[in-house]
Amino acid sequence: MNVHTYEKIWLVAAMVLIVAFIATITYGSVGLGIAMVGDQQPTIEPTELGDDERFGEPRVEQVGENEYEAYVVAQTFSYQPDPIEVPEDSQVTFYVTARDVIHSFSIAGTNVNTMAIPGEIAEMTVEFDEAGEYGIVCNEYCGPDHHNMEGKLHVVSADEFDLTDLSADGPDEVAVGDSVDVDVVVENRQLEDLETTVTLEIGDETVSEEVTVPGGDAVETTLSVDSSALGEGDHDWTVTVDDHDSSGSVTVLEELDDDADGGEDDE
Amino acid sequence: MSNVYIDQFPAEAKVIRAAFYSSFLALALGGVFGIIQTLHRTDFLRFMDSVDYYTVLTAHGVFLVISFTIFFLVGIFTWAVTTSLDRGLEDIRFTWGWYSLMAIGITMTGVAILAGFTDAIDMSASVLFTFYAPLQAHPLFYLGLVLFVVGTWVAGVDWFRSWWAWKAENPDERIPLPTFMVLTTMLMWYIATLGVAAAILLFLLPWSLGLIETVNPLLTRTLFWFFGHPVVYFWLMPAYMMWYVMLPKFSGGKLFSDPLARVVFVLFLILSVPTGIHHQYLDPGIAEGFKFIAMTNTMFLLLPSLLTAFTVVASMEHGARQRGGEGYFGWLKALPWRDPVFTGMALAGLMFAAAGFSGMINAGMNINYLVHNTFWVVGHFHLTVGTAVALTFMAVTYWFLPQVTGKALWSRSVALGQVVVWFVGMTFMSNAMHRAGLLGVPRRTAEPQYEGFEFQAAVGSIGELDAQIALGGVLLTISLGMFFANVVGTALNGRSDDLPANEYAGALSGPDDAPLVLDNLKLWTAIAVVLVIFAYTFPLLSIIDRGGLFGPEVIPFPLTVESATTLGFALETAASTSFESAGEIATSALTAVMR
Ligand code: HEM
Ligand SMILES: [Cu+2]
Ligand SMILES: [Cu+2]
Repeated sequence: MNVHTYEKIWLVAAMVLIVAFIATITYGSVGLGIAMVGDQQPTIEPTELGDDERFGEPRVEQVGENEYEAYVVAQTFSYQPDPIEVPEDSQVTFYVTARDVIHSFSIAGTNVNTMAIPGEIAEMTVEFDEAGEYGIVCNEYCGPDHHNMEGKLHVVSADEFDLTDLSADGPDEVAVGDSVDVDVVVENRQLEDLETTVTLEIGDETVSEEVTVPGGDAVETTLSVDSSALGEGDHDWTVTVDDHDSSGSVTVLEELDDDADGGEDDE
Repeated sequence: MSNVYIDQFPAEAKVIRAAFYSSFLALALGGVFGIIQTLHRTDFLRFMDSVDYYTVLTAHGVFLVISFTIFFLVGIFTWAVTTSLDRGLEDIRFTWGWYSLMAIGITMTGVAILAGFTDAIDMSASVLFTFYAPLQAHPLFYLGLVLFVVGTWVAGVDWFRSWWAWKAENPDERIPLPTFMVLTTMLMWYIATLGVAAAILLFLLPWSLGLIETVNPLLTRTLFWFFGHPVVYFWLMPAYMMWYVMLPKFSGGKLFSDPLARVVFVLFLILSVPTGIHHQYLDPGIAEGFKFIAMTNTMFLLLPSLLTAFTVVASMEHGARQRGGEGYFGWLKALPWRDPVFTGMALAGLMFAAAGFSGMINAGMNINYLVHNTFWVVGHFHLTVGTAVALTFMAVTYWFLPQVTGKALWSRSVALGQVVVWFVGMTFMSNAMHRAGLLGVPRRTAEPQYEGFEFQAAVGSIGELDAQIALGGVLLTISLGMFFANVVGTALNGRSDDLPANEYAGALSGPDDAPLVLDNLKLWTAIAVVLVIFAYTFPLLSIIDRGGLFGPEVIPFPLTVESATTLGFALETAASTSFESAGEIATSALTAVMR
């Protein structure tokens, strides 16, 4: 074959260019130990996410000193959890799956970007050096409301950050003289023990209790206030632990209907 | 008898006319949907519900990249085979047969899509041209696509029959270059379409008919991309053919090298298919190694395009020097810039060079994370299929239309204006799309304006980018209007006896310089098949092994309109600060380090 000299030079230059590209990218990924989204994770039944240990309750969990794992579910047309909160100076591994159709999980303006495919779990690890707020967009068309599918990622400073969950539950009605017992559960998904104070405020009354919640565990406690101090009527209450709160209300009656406990149907 | 195509091959000219007009109809519809969605997205004009945006987008995608491009290319392929073999097709009824299959197929698909606009008919297919399960379209949508593709398969048989018959009479001759290009392209297409045929016939169609309960979303998606990457070469190879066999002629010279042109098409045949996984770098469930192989193949696929760039420029220079051009760059002035056919193709080629740059970014496994599914990608393929291919097709129409109708072109100056306006419009639209993509603005989104956050632009603002996109879109629409004015004007003209002869460019270095092995189509097909088997067997087996042939239990999502609630948060907030594109890549890549 008769190939012109210039053509030969061009051909060689083109091959060199191509090989150089491959080498750069290989170094830029494999060489630097950057893992791509791959097949690291097992498959999962999208209709049974509710029973799954990780995705049953989408959340962020601490797994090492500065290491966290986030279990994220994408579904038409939202993300769980939302917002996702992680501390600065941390390394977070995201596990993302989809409940229904294919979505994406993409932190706008960054290279944190993955498909969320029903049946598959995407895994990627991201380092967050600075506090900031990011938008999460779904960039894979997923249905008629696709354009409203968004989430938020908050990277917060270390002292603002915790993985505490608070829930509180109290009675609807009590008779004057009985005590109002509010059951409180404090969950700590960080590794270190959480030493804190649980406070119940109701009317002018305040009671508190020091608790220590072991890392990765929860404690239950009950705070009580004597209803005589409140008087008859409706009273709102609030339980606080650090920045978290939970509230409800109770009605103090002169006398309880005998079968009130059986569930009076007056609502 | 004159030597205009319509006089040489009147029956074939009629089929080509039908194919061209089908193609232009699709282009017109696609263009209308294109400007509607441009103005909707950028929030300059929203007269429909955002829910309907996705029906518009499906129609834009399918009509433009399936019907416009493919109808046009079967037209020029028919021209190429008959002209270069200098013989009519074997049986014109067979030819009308495949044209009808294609026409019926695309009509069915089109009806299924457009029915999505009305609640009166219980039918929709707003699944975009990628139709990823578990999004589900009406069976008519899939069925129509099948017929259309089968039509193209039969068309290939038609051209092979011509070649076989010719070979029997000319046993010792080299395959003429245009026919060689048609045959290699079709062989590539046969291999490529196996993927989409399997996806539709084994899974999606039975599933939409309720014959099977579930599908494996990752499997059908992978089969789609098995086809979805090489289909871009199915659009591009006819444009390359035009650059090889027509552009040198319009430049006033000859093709630089016939053998190298053959090498390029053989490389496309071999390398086009085993690359599709590069669209799935971000898919969980596919091992990194497979993605890596796809990336390597993709990079090697740059070679035929780089070679084409050389040959095209060298041929143009030769033409210019024949016309008296001189100097290092001075010869550029000697090119026939007043000829819309030449200028359109040259501008298309220029934009393709820019597209090559953004394409290399896309192909890089790691940098792809930054741009995947953002507006960047839309900017990229409006340079490739939307300009390199579409503008080349429109430009050569100004030469082909007179050939197949026997009528003179209505207006050469409108034609010249048309290609220039397209170039300018696309420069605006595509550049702004690329930049918006780097900020994270997603593609395929009716209202890329969110409640909880704003996209941060470093230079200019989102508002400015949107304005450029809309301006570009309007210019493109004007350009399309000028194109159709010319098509209609030409059709209304009377017969002319003053048309150029039907011929294509000769070569400086002719086919006799090409090693015989280049014409061994069986060999190259075998190599292509082996490479596909290497690249795809393991990924497919692994996907099936992980997720099952029919996947996990998934709920189909027939996209009904009532399921949608549109929150119209029309207030689009303009971001303030931003950097230049290059800086944007660098900084965004630093924002988060992937491990
Ligand atoms: C008047 C000219 C055109 C305008 C104004 C236009 C505009 C647009 C816009 C704004 C989008 C992005 C929509 C989104 O992602 O939300 C788009 C998508 C697209 N365009 Fe165009 N376009 C034009 C011509 C073309 C041409 C000539 C082709 C190809 C031959 C083409 C092929 C496509 C494809 C394949 C998509 C992607 C569809 C999808 O994501 O499913 N367009 N177009
Ligand atoms: Cu979405
Ligand atoms: Cu591709």
